[in-house]
Amino acid sequence: MDHDVVVRQKMTERYLLDELDAEARNEFEEHFFVCPACASDIRAASLFVERSKVVLGEQAKAASVPAPIALPTPAIPKWMNWFRPTVVAPVMAVVLAAFAYQSFVTVPQMKTALGSPHVLRWTSVNVGTFSEGNVIKVQAGSGFMLFVRIPPEGNYLHYSADLYNPAGKLEWSLTIPASESQDQWPVQVPAATRPAGTYTLLLHGISSAGESKKVGQASFELQFEK
Amino acid sequence: MHFESFDEEYLTQLRGGDFRTEQHFISYFSALMQIKLRSRLSSKEASEDVRQETFARFFVALRAGKIQQPDRLGSYVNSMCNNVLMEHYRNGRHETPFDDDEGTDIPAPDVDLLDALASKESDEKVREVLEQLSERDRRVLREVFLEERDKDEVCRDFGVDREYLRVLLHRAKKAFKAMYLNNFGDDPPAFAEA
Repeated sequence: MDHDVVVRQKMTERYLLDELDAEARNEFEEHFFVCPACASDIRAASLFVERSKVVLGEQAKAASVPAPIALPTPAIPKWMNWFRPTVVAPVMAVVLAAFAYQSFVTVPQMKTALGSPHVLRWTSVNVGTFSEGNVIKVQAGSGFMLFVRIPPEGNYLHYSADLYNPAGKLEWSLTIPASESQDQWPVQVPAATRPAGTYTLLLHGISSAGESKKVGQASFELQFEK
Repeated sequence: MHFESFDEEYLTQLRGGDFRTEQHFISYFSALMQIKLRSRLSSKEASEDVRQETFARFFVALRAGKIQQPDRLGSYVNSMCNNVLMEHYRNGRHETPFDDDEGTDIPAPDVDLLDALASKESDEKVREVLEQLSERDRRVLREVFLEERDKDEVCRDFGVDREYLRVLLHRAKKAFKAMYLNNFGDDPPAFAEA
């Protein structure tokens, strides 16, 4: 293979882009084994391609982390007029009364409840098999435990789990770590006012390159005890 | 002694077992073999086996006086590498290493050149080169080399052709090569501007 042809036809680039047929590839390799200039060229180009994969991968991963949202600074609003003493005084009185009730009644009751051990109702969902039909019965407004089984495949960095209520509205999102040694994760669903019905957990795997791919989903039926 | 070209003096030193010459020879052709074998063999272990066997056969032939033309050293190495590769494909993992009666001990390169060069400094220079490109060109390179998407699809998505891709890689390589030669080359050989 003539050196001028190699340069003119950008053989180094074609080689690294895998555009040469077997015969041309062999001829080019024969050439760069004997031509110091082309040997230098292919070594530099090959190194650039290999390290670019690393650098571009790092940049893609950094770009997948959302930037913090800068909230706009509001202008001084007209409703500042409401902060006149004749308005503020009675409002403050009501606020203080509510604060006192919470401090002396509600919070102590909650602390007592939280500090005590209690059994959580639970159900398991298998994202890999798109499981449906599991029923969990709780008191209205109570939290419960969800055991999420994730198929061990895909080599993801972590998972993103989204829970949708019966109306199809996203209730919450949660990051679940990816681990070779664990394929079932206990998720504590906090107490909240929520409707009974079918809930769907949608799972996405997040790769090291920041790509999101749907792994699976599972549903369960939330019922309230009477 | 200059390592710019493989001349009689170089061949004499190599035949005589000069350590520096051997190290240079193995380092130089190891890098080229790694590039050649990367696309042909699935594992680093297989590539290393082929590399070792190629050098083993070369040095046996060298010391037997079968290699006389210094300007053909590269051609000898490439041909031997091809032969070892063919045997590797035929025999799979059952390839019998060349029986070396002389007990030739193939010195490993002082450093794996490609790995050694993959240093923070190299990555920093790669970043500098990538930053000089437009965001679109960076995305093209990412989709071709990192995500390994089909190149025709990438060209279609970005509204470019294959020649654009080659020119893009050529420009990036040229910028990076200047750093490469300044930092890692021996006396840079005279070469035609690519």
